[in-house]
Amino acid sequence: MVSNRESRGGRPFAFFRAGARVGAEGAERPILAFEDVYKFFGKDQPALRGLNLTIERGEFVFLTGPSGAGKGTLLKLVYRELTVDSGRILFCGRDIARLTDRSIPFLRRNLGIVFQDFKVVPHWTVFENVAIALEILELPARLVRSRVGEALERVGLSGRGDERVGTLSGGEQQRVAVARAIVSEPALLLADEPTGNLDPTLAVDVLTLFEEIHQTGTTVLFATHDHGLIERRDHRILSLEQGRVYDVRRGLASWSSSGVHAVREARRAAG
Amino acid sequence: MSIDSLISRAMRGFREELRLYVVAVTSLAVAFLCLGAALLALQNLGAVAERWGKSGHITVYLRDGLEPAEITRLAAVLEGLREVDHVRVVSSEEARAEFLARTELGEEVAELGAEVFPASIEVGIVSGVTVEAIEKLAARIGALEGVSDVESYRGWFEQLASLLSAGKVGATVIAVLVGFCVFAVVGNTVRLSIARRRREIEVMKLCGATHGFVRGPFIVEGIVQGLLASALAVAALAAAFFALRAELNSAFSIFVGTEAVFLGPGLLALLVFSGAFIGATSSTLSLRRYLEI
Repeated sequence: MVSNRESRGGRPFAFFRAGARVGAEGAERPILAFEDVYKFFGKDQPALRGLNLTIERGEFVFLTGPSGAGKGTLLKLVYRELTVDSGRILFCGRDIARLTDRSIPFLRRNLGIVFQDFKVVPHWTVFENVAIALEILELPARLVRSRVGEALERVGLSGRGDERVGTLSGGEQQRVAVARAIVSEPALLLADEPTGNLDPTLAVDVLTLFEEIHQTGTTVLFATHDHGLIERRDHRILSLEQGRVYDVRRGLASWSSSGVHAVREARRAAG
Repeated sequence: MSIDSLISRAMRGFREELRLYVVAVTSLAVAFLCLGAALLALQNLGAVAERWGKSGHITVYLRDGLEPAEITRLAAVLEGLREVDHVRVVSSEEARAEFLARTELGEEVAELGAEVFPASIEVGIVSGVTVEAIEKLAARIGALEGVSDVESYRGWFEQLASLLSAGKVGATVIAVLVGFCVFAVVGNTVRLSIARRRREIEVMKLCGATHGFVRGPFIVEGIVQGLLASALAVAALAAAFFALRAELNSAFSIFVGTEAVFLGPGLLALLVFSGAFIGATSSTLSLRRYLEI
């Protein structure tokens, strides 16, 4: 429900402001819930068709499916690059589809977003690329420096803050993007095919990085179509197809017991 | 929004787009120079008009055959008027001598007799009397006994006034053109800069930046462009004016009766701050459609 202040077009409600604490009631709610969400890109082109799903606080969830299944659309609806045509998307119990344009920045401050194409600024330094997320929050320069230092250490780029991002490798650029996404300690980390432009080894490195971040309590929604990457991980996998969730399973269990993997494991065991 | 962050982001923008901004500021400075020159010309034209308007005089032509006693009495009457500063009686002979001294027509006119030149009284008007008041005074003098005709030089003032009026229209047109030029140049510079910095804007918006946060540095850049250009134009105009002032004064002050003056502090401040204002407005409007991410 939108507060009166919100509906009057005043200051966005405090809940979505960075650093605001979630109350006891909010803590019990799922961090993200889709309720009968529809999104069309044309009269007969539904991207999402009555989507229902729930992501609990502190979960790590893979979102998978073929190209055009609606993974990207789903994520764009969460960070409000797109708006639902019908249904509700509840972020900590608040319907983000009903946010005014003025409130969207405050929603995004609660999210960390990592993209396939990194979305880093190549002529900025590593430090500047990460610090921008905190400058937006108007934190003091001293605090920005220390928190950027910590974030770079977490992604393995400690001491490289002065390097131009354009001179880094793809994997390193993606680490910069991850550092920027986590530096403000967001409630929810969205990853839109973050390993899509990386070779398999780097992809595993980046996924491991997300898992380490998840270990600290951050909720992660990780979209990818790379089954090889996700099946051997013990996380919930939501499979989308034609705008609907058609399968929900846990990665490690389904990987080890599924036909092709079971045969491969059996061969390996046989020597 | 933190001022430090705003300034440092604007400075970064300047560093990254230095060439673009140098070209833009130079173009704007030329436009402001045109406006400043027009204002300077207008100001000096106005000063001349004011000087002439306040130091007017009337020539009172006397009826032929007026006795010297009557002339003296008439001069005394004129001298007693409130608006009159001084009078000088010019006899027919003196008028002829003055004419011959000024004319270059040669010996043909030298044969003209004194009777051709009417005697007159040159009436100096006290400072500050308006053209309208002088006109009324001329009408009163024309009605006096012994006066044949009165020349108040109203035509001169009307010509000067129309010249001044045309100058004002010209300066206004130049001001509008310069305003449009500044608006277009700053707007296009900001648009070019935005096109090259779209990734930055996208990143900021995705990190939760408000429109104000994104817009801030671009507005600062627009203000600085306008300020720098107008200040540069004022400096160039001042340099040219003070370098040429002595020559201008020696060439024109004899004819116009005043010395050339530079733009006043109020007008200079207006010129500089109008540059900043137009720069800010143009940046703000140019950014509007680029903020939807």
